[in-house]
Amino acid sequence: MENTGYIALSRQLVLRQQMNVVANNLANMNTSGFKGERMLFSEYLNKTEDGKLLSFVQDLAVYRDLQQGPMTRSGNPLDLAISGEGYFKVETPGGERYTRRGSFTLDERGRIVTPEGHPVLTAGDAPITIPTDSNTISITRDGTVSTEDGEVGRLQVVGFEREQYLTRTENGLYDAGEEQPEAVQEPDIQQGMIERSNVQGVVEMTRLIETVRSYQSASKMTENEHERQRKAIDKLVSA
Amino acid sequence: MRSLNIAATGMLAQQLNVDVISNNISNMNTTGYKRQRAEFQDLLYQNLRRVGSASSEAGTIVPSGIQLGVGVKPASIYRITQQGSLSITNNPLDLAISGKGYFMVELPSGETAYTRAGTFQLSPDGEVVTADGYVVQPGISIPPDAIGISINATGEVSVNLDGQIADQVVGQIELATFPNAGGLDAIGQNLFLETTASGAAVTGTPGTAGYGSLEQGALEASNVDVVSEITNLITAQRAYEMNSRVIQASDEMMSSAAQLR
Repeated sequence: MENTGYIALSRQLVLRQQMNVVANNLANMNTSGFKGERMLFSEYLNKTEDGKLLSFVQDLAVYRDLQQGPMTRSGNPLDLAISGEGYFKVETPGGERYTRRGSFTLDERGRIVTPEGHPVLTAGDAPITIPTDSNTISITRDGTVSTEDGEVGRLQVVGFEREQYLTRTENGLYDAGEEQPEAVQEPDIQQGMIERSNVQGVVEMTRLIETVRSYQSASKMTENEHERQRKAIDKLVSA
Repeated sequence: MRSLNIAATGMLAQQLNVDVISNNISNMNTTGYKRQRAEFQDLLYQNLRRVGSASSEAGTIVPSGIQLGVGVKPASIYRITQQGSLSITNNPLDLAISGKGYFMVELPSGETAYTRAGTFQLSPDGEVVTADGYVVQPGISIPPDAIGISINATGEVSVNLDGQIADQVVGQIELATFPNAGGLDAIGQNLFLETTASGAAVTGTPGTAGYGSLEQGALEASNVDVVSEITNLITAQRAYEMNSRVIQASDEMMSSAAQLR
């Protein structure tokens, strides 16, 4: 009859996982375009010999909080924030990736790229090149990039029916896998703005405290159970 | 426990953020200084339970698996090449660029460096040099008997000689632009070097298409906005504190595990 200990242990294991998620959220508090994560737990029922059900806990999933992050002005003409739904399409050596982190720069050829140097794509999957002799870059809400000499291309903003199915890869990029991107009809791109991380410090702190306390109370339970068993053995032996 | 390391990456990132902000604030009065911004990105993810893996024989799939992030890392520190405001000095050899472009300067090593700080002076030979004595390219000599120097918006340098009515043209200042000015390598003393990331320099006459025009007797002030730097500083500091709390909390959890008998 060691079930009590195992149930408490299952709780502690998922709390450790929860702690990792909270730590990752807080570490990325100032990462632009970052979406906070939540853990989802589920009950795991196990039938004992006498037909009673024991309820363990297991970690089921980590899901993203897709809420819009707050916008801040950066003054850089190539900082783009998407207000509302959508992702920018980026070409990487590993295939197309999607991102909401719109802090772009130019590369040595004048193409619009991410800080890692991956070109940002148009609807026709072509990178956008800014001519060297242009003074200003203006990007309208629908993603049309133009200089003082006229239009040079239109950034593609895509959405997904099942956003949670996107897999996170590093550098704020998402891998769509089997999901099919669909062009967003009326994208709302804000030039010179950055979408900050949607992690709210206060919420994460309360979650942190809650995790630590739950963990401690589970520890306490294991300890009490141990004590109880020890006493039982003492009593039985002395009897 | 991963959370200890994750929080440590968070603290390191915020430390770097504060470093960048403090450099911006200390250069708020540096001529031609462009403010910098630290950009972060999330580290790789560990898949403990893959998204889209089957959860039953009937073909139902997991809508979101367990992907654990392992922290944050600095992605880049980039310069925001926004125009700084012009301040009037009335010094004839102070030049400000209004628009795109960099002045070219020859380093003692013979390399060409680029700068937006137009605080120029004259060398003992009458050459136009920077505050550090490096010759501005292409070299321009001002005759010792010149009583007035005028530089127009297109970079034409002319002098007024004693006893002459018409001004005499003595040189032409040129500017360099880059496909990606953010990729220039800053070497201090307000100077930059060309890199493979910036692309090759393209030189041209100020005021023509793609080049900024010159303003004599003015300097380009730093584009640091103190108010936004201070707010960034506060955010960075709070984020640092919260990450340190995560370390503390992880420690508490570990110690309560260690105290189990």
